[in-house]
Amino acid sequence: MGKMEGKKLLLLGERDGVPSPAMEAVFKNSGGEVVFSATECFV
Amino acid sequence: MPNAAVKACSNCLVHAPEMAERYGNTPYMERLSHPGSEFLAALPKAGQSYEEACRYAPNLTFIGALSVDGLPARPQPWLRNLEPEAVRDGRFGEIMPEDEFLGLMDFCDVFDLIWLSLDFAAGVKGKLKARNFWSPEQLARLEKGRPLAEIEAECREQHALPLYFGGRVVGCCRRGHETDENLSAHVLLENIASKATSILAMMHLLRNSGLPPGEIDFVVECSEEAIGDMNQRGGGNLAKAVAEIAGCRNASGFDVRAFCAGPTAALITAASMVAAGARKNVVVVAGGAVPKLYMNARDHVKKGLPALENVLGSMAVLLTEDDGESPVIRLDSLGKHTVGAGASPQAVTTALAWEPLEKLGLKLTDVDKYAPELHNPEVTVPAGAGNVPEANYKMIAALGVMKKQLERGDIEGFVKERGLTGFAPTQGHIPSGVPYMGHALEEMKAGRLKRIMVIGKGSLFLGRLTNLADGASFLMEKMAGGAGQAAAVTTRDVEEVVLEALGDLAAALNR
Repeated sequence: MGKMEGKKLLLLGERDGVPSPAMEAVFKNSGGEVVFSATECFV
Repeated sequence: MPNAAVKACSNCLVHAPEMAERYGNTPYMERLSHPGSEFLAALPKAGQSYEEACRYAPNLTFIGALSVDGLPARPQPWLRNLEPEAVRDGRFGEIMPEDEFLGLMDFCDVFDLIWLSLDFAAGVKGKLKARNFWSPEQLARLEKGRPLAEIEAECREQHALPLYFGGRVVGCCRRGHETDENLSAHVLLENIASKATSILAMMHLLRNSGLPPGEIDFVVECSEEAIGDMNQRGGGNLAKAVAEIAGCRNASGFDVRAFCAGPTAALITAASMVAAGARKNVVVVAGGAVPKLYMNARDHVKKGLPALENVLGSMAVLLTEDDGESPVIRLDSLGKHTVGAGASPQAVTTALAWEPLEKLGLKLTDVDKYAPELHNPEVTVPAGAGNVPEANYKMIAALGVMKKQLERGDIEGFVKERGLTGFAPTQGHIPSGVPYMGHALEEMKAGRLKRIMVIGKGSLFLGRLTNLADGASFLMEKMAGGAGQAAAVTTRDVEEVVLEALGDLAAALNR
């Protein structure tokens, strides 16, 4: 069982920080459910 | 391997707060959704005047009136500690006021889309002429104008967008088609503004290089605008439209698009053409983005700060064949972010900064300065986007620690020594490393700088076709002692030398 088992995850990425696909990869085997994932660009 | 010489650069700004207030995307969308909002009410009072924009240290650095190295030492915050004197002209370009810009848009327009009022057109023509910068042919393109009543009717009845100066309507941008949304007045306003700012940068580049317009062979344009109609949205060739008004009669051109990585990709494309001998004198040019004006103004206004995103940026670079003296764009090792590289900051930095150096047997510390996205932190930090260049430098340094080229304690020194303070407006593709090239060119010519890396990154997810990260990078370098010429020696040259030596030997034996 992963650390995030039963949790729902909202992933908000930033282009020059950590983009959401990178976060999705990190949480892939965490047991959490990614319900929203997006990257934004403020520049 | 042959390279391409970096011969000249230009960086220009256009102060456009009234265009920002009406047609920057953030206030424009706010006006549609919440026309009575506090933000919109506060925005007109939050602007910087032209004189203030000409005293703002990051702007002066952009046009080359202040050195990049000197910028961090200027009293901060820069927005509260304006420079003592307003400066319009720098070594790389100028800060153009908004009224002259409307005149520039008019003479860049070949489809009678920009209309100016009679009195405004006459006044602005005098101002443009007094600059002794624009050619008689260019000035002759400025129309005498139309009665204000005609302009107001065009806005009221034909979906034209009003253009403002001094708080009053002085002209309009008309639509190019009755039903095609790709040729609406809004889209055409953005495209003509991009074209006009490109032409401004192109003319300053020609002045800086001393090259007559007729000597330019090819133009590569790399902004983020889509030029086309409903059947070919984004069909392009803004490059040729720019070359036409700039008087480059012998040039052709095309556009390169890669979001904010566009200029880096365009420079690699142009340098490759020059190095291959396919084109001789190639200009890479990019104009400004109207939608990005006042993009983060909501946060600035909320925090009681001036709305700083009031300038359109533009830039141009001239590439010529390697003369063995000028700094070059090295083509023997380019940074590219592949489909399989991954999106994590570590993966992106490895692809763009580490791999091209490793291929040449160089270390991260063999690069004197890194030029990633050079956003002005006074714009991005209050908006919550952080200090973009600094974040990039920390990531490059951290990678150096992972690769055992740096100690953990060296990170701060690496960032300080090899980083740059951001000075570029948040105009998307404009800050992507390239505005530093003019500064670097001067430093390399003076022998104070040997090698820089320009890094561009693009946000492909914005187009909703892929979530992949993207980027490109290249090294700009002053090759040691005519290395450029040495690099151009061919197998044929070597054969000729060997044959000549053998001939001398045979002659000696015969004696």
